Amino acid sequence: MHTVYSRINNVSATLSTSLMVLLAAIACSSLLFTADPKGTLDVTSVKIFNGDSRRYSHRRGEYAFVNFNITADLSPLFNWNTKQLFLYLQAEYTNAQGVQNEVVIWDRIVRRKDDAVLKVVGKNKYTFREYSSKFKDVPPARYSLKYNLMPYVGLLTYGEAAQTTAPVQFPSAKERVE
Amino acid sequence: MSSSIQQLLEGKIDFEGQKSVERITHYAFAVLTAVSFVLGFTLQSLSVTFGIFGLGVALLLVAVIPPWPPYNKHPVQWLPARETKKE
Repeated sequence: MHTVYSRINNVSATLSTSLMVLLAAIACSSLLFTADPKGTLDVTSVKIFNGDSRRYSHRRGEYAFVNFNITADLSPLFNWNTKQLFLYLQAEYTNAQGVQNEVVIWDRIVRRKDDAVLKVVGKNKYTFREYSSKFKDVPPARYSLKYNLMPYVGLLTYGEAAQTTAPVQFPSAKERVE
Repeated sequence: MSSSIQQLLEGKIDFEGQKSVERITHYAFAVLTAVSFVLGFTLQSLSVTFGIFGLGVALLLVAVIPPWPPYNKHPVQWLPARETKKE
């Protein structure tokens, strides 16, 4: 501490230690917030059409188009350490071969508390196709709205905000839109 | 001329001053971390936390880095030079 340089050295070392303690405290403070908000999710219609895959035009398959309504108030999840919420709607079903599938068909990033009050009338953003290319004989699916809370400092946490109350059937495929 | 610039850049302080500086840095950081966390947590705002922390660090740097006169109030008392006997 006898010269300016050694004082700067000393202060910067103590500064980095205190900063790390502060960040650890902020990360731990997230554990105190245990909000678990729930909402409603309704799937209004599911339609299945035969179509071509965009990349390989010879590859035919069945594509599902889902329309849904979401109402949820996720603002309790926003605390001082919440950077953003990543919401995603997934369809969960076991296909005819017995394989468990979870397909994300819609997502949204929520950055502000005011935007966390959801009232969405939407349709699937992403292609929903069955990997074995046919939806025939597939048992009914369960749709759920899940979220991933991303903090400024700390661990990522996950949760489920809404799910369909009754399983949703897959209708038979139609050749083209009427 | 270069020796006075060198002295200026070195910024020496005496031992008592060094003890005070070390004490000030440690207490200041402990208090600053606690205060900025508590205030930010109650106001639920990270900007408050880091704003207070940054301000505190700036003040501390001003208080500790330059060789202020109070840090030089106890200079080392050197013993008087002794005559060496030439054999």
